[in-house]
Amino acid sequence: MNGYRLGATGVVATFFTIVTSTVLLPMVLFNPKPSGHGNDYKNAAITKVADPARGRQIYVREGCFYCHTQFTRLQDRGYGPLVKAGDYVQETPHQLGTARTGPDLTNEGGKFPSEWQKAHLIEPRSVKPGSIMPSFSFLSDRDMNDLVGYIQTLGNMRKVEHYVEAPEEFKAALARNTGKTSTTADASANAGRGIYTANCAACHGMEGRGNGPNAISLEKKPANFTRPFYKQYPDDFWFYRITEGVPGTRMPRWGETLTEEQRWYLVAYLKTLPKDQEETVDSLDQLNPVDVIRLPKLSGQIWEPASGSQRGE
Amino acid sequence: MFIDTLLSDREGSAARNFLLSAILWGVIGMGAGLFAASEFSWPDLVHNVPQLSMPHLRMVHVNGVAIGWLSMAYIGSMFYMVPSLTKTPLWSEKLGNAVMWGWNLMMTGMFCTLINGFTEGREYAEMGALLDCLAVVLLVGAAWNVYATVINRRVKKLYVSLWYFLGSLFWFPLVYIIGQRTFVALPGLNDAIVGWFYGHNILGMWFTIVGVGMMYYLIPRITGNPLYSHGLSMLGFWGIALFYAPTGTHHILQSPVPEWLKAIAVISSIFLLVPVFAALTNFFMTMKGRWQMVVTDLPLRFALTSTVFYYITCIQGPFQATRWINWYIHFSQWVVGHAHLALLGTFSFISTASIYYGLPRLTGRPWYSQGLIRAHYWLKMLGFVIMMLALTTAGLVQAAGWAFGIPIDQWSMQIRPYWFIRWISGVMIFAGQVIFAYNTFRTLYSAAPALTPAAKAQEVKA
Repeated sequence: MNGYRLGATGVVATFFTIVTSTVLLPMVLFNPKPSGHGNDYKNAAITKVADPARGRQIYVREGCFYCHTQFTRLQDRGYGPLVKAGDYVQETPHQLGTARTGPDLTNEGGKFPSEWQKAHLIEPRSVKPGSIMPSFSFLSDRDMNDLVGYIQTLGNMRKVEHYVEAPEEFKAALARNTGKTSTTADASANAGRGIYTANCAACHGMEGRGNGPNAISLEKKPANFTRPFYKQYPDDFWFYRITEGVPGTRMPRWGETLTEEQRWYLVAYLKTLPKDQEETVDSLDQLNPVDVIRLPKLSGQIWEPASGSQRGE
Repeated sequence: MFIDTLLSDREGSAARNFLLSAILWGVIGMGAGLFAASEFSWPDLVHNVPQLSMPHLRMVHVNGVAIGWLSMAYIGSMFYMVPSLTKTPLWSEKLGNAVMWGWNLMMTGMFCTLINGFTEGREYAEMGALLDCLAVVLLVGAAWNVYATVINRRVKKLYVSLWYFLGSLFWFPLVYIIGQRTFVALPGLNDAIVGWFYGHNILGMWFTIVGVGMMYYLIPRITGNPLYSHGLSMLGFWGIALFYAPTGTHHILQSPVPEWLKAIAVISSIFLLVPVFAALTNFFMTMKGRWQMVVTDLPLRFALTSTVFYYITCIQGPFQATRWINWYIHFSQWVVGHAHLALLGTFSFISTASIYYGLPRLTGRPWYSQGLIRAHYWLKMLGFVIMMLALTTAGLVQAAGWAFGIPIDQWSMQIRPYWFIRWISGVMIFAGQVIFAYNTFRTLYSAAPALTPAAKAQEVKA
């Protein structure tokens, strides 16, 4: 072309080389087998009350993926199991997302009751103070139901193969415990149950469904231990979580109050909680009820701060 | 006749109409962005209006500024730069004007569909099937016009800008066709791979290449200095051609896509420093002895600001494409700041420079007010710097939150001040664009003021 044949050939050749290597080659070489553990929004059990497949279309239409991602990374502690290539075969158009203005939703299903999800879509700040999520109150009732149905399927089939590992010192704790407190024996679990009821049930609920009476007032909801992937938590990771708490949540560092033995009993009990099918709390009414706590009447006893005795009664 | 008015074949009319449409879509696109930004600060601003919910506005914002404002300014600029570089009139002004009307029709369709949520759900490729087909036809129309002009040229040697324009007009329609995925349903991660090939190459094969080509045109033209080195500019061109296109996967560096693809993306991203430094060395050496011109010459000031922002963008880009930096700052507002640095800081500024330089030459009217151009410059420049700082800082807060596993509830309140600052910067940028549009309107539709010879000389230079 007027002396620019070489240049034109270069322009065409570079482009097609690159398209072949980075677009066509991955299509040929990268065909992950369905893991069966992605989101099963097509055959979810929930289809009786909502249509999650249609919910996904609404998720796309309302542009949820601009602020919420659907892939967990190694460093995303507390966002559930890591994703694998085979998890995404059903996802067209993909909803991986690139920015998180809100939390990751990979394993969102079952984290909150459906009623909570609906309230959150209608008036986000009524259930999450400080959130800047837009209100989706304009969705029709059917749209809302299906969208919540879809959200509740997210991560429903996810299984765990790789975890964030507990820090080194907890591996040492595991080694220290070997041969002492069994974490599989019924007796240990029974001992752990008491510790659980006394310390954990107020937030995590009596059945470990994350629906304790305190749960309603917590911004970051307590974990639902019936989720199947907790089955695969290794002992040292349970122990690490109990000992160090969860940063940024109200989960305390039980290492400060419970002895090492007590914490191992607790591990033994917690390991009995995960189910094959997680138990989702559908309604706020299912929160564990609580009796009004009656404080003892205050008197001028010596242990009360600024009480009479200190004033030299 | 009526059809002659619509499809005028007056010389320069296609370029002029493209540039004017660009300014209009710029106001709409930036307005949508500003509205969306205000919903970050006042999330309860609008209730029960789906058209005004943040994600819908975001789609209009992104498509409005990328496909409306920037792309139309690019085609308009090419329509006057290519004839000037080849000393040949545009092959067909009628075709150019037809493409211009088609593009405006497409943008109107984009606005009406996306604001109502009729989206394909693919980032940067949201437009529906019909609009996608229209876009391809229009791109081919524009490319045809430019290629035919170059084939008929009266200057034998192709100046480097023409390399960039011709390369881009060959690559970008293909990238667009591959990237839309309108008629194919690829399984999730493959969809993401192709999606980011497209998402990054709308930048690499279109905004960067044409933008840099415009810098190569404007800086020597305005300063009157010859280009510092033709060899260096060729190094830059082939560097971009080789290293830009495979970088897309760095957007999904931490997802379970093949490692070899990630490696290619990271390595090419780092290699991009080569063409960037080649181009920037060329621009800055061309400026030698003429730096004082930025004080008086406003199009040059916009163009040089654009090259400085280009420098920052392209240092930042490879930096955040490396695995460990990506590990830390991915998903955060830092990346949003980076995207604005490229599209607003660099390419929006060069488009503005091109309009300020080209429109007086296309219409024969000097700018209505130099003061308004200066106001536009400072509002846009300061507004952008403030936005960049706010988003980057917010990004670092977020990044720390994600990296250390702190739940979002604990730090989301901490970045609200930065979102407010971002809103203020948005107001400044939008005000700048409105001033720009007003200045253009007055330039075209008010009687030309009687100019003193001194002012006239300055106008011609500007």
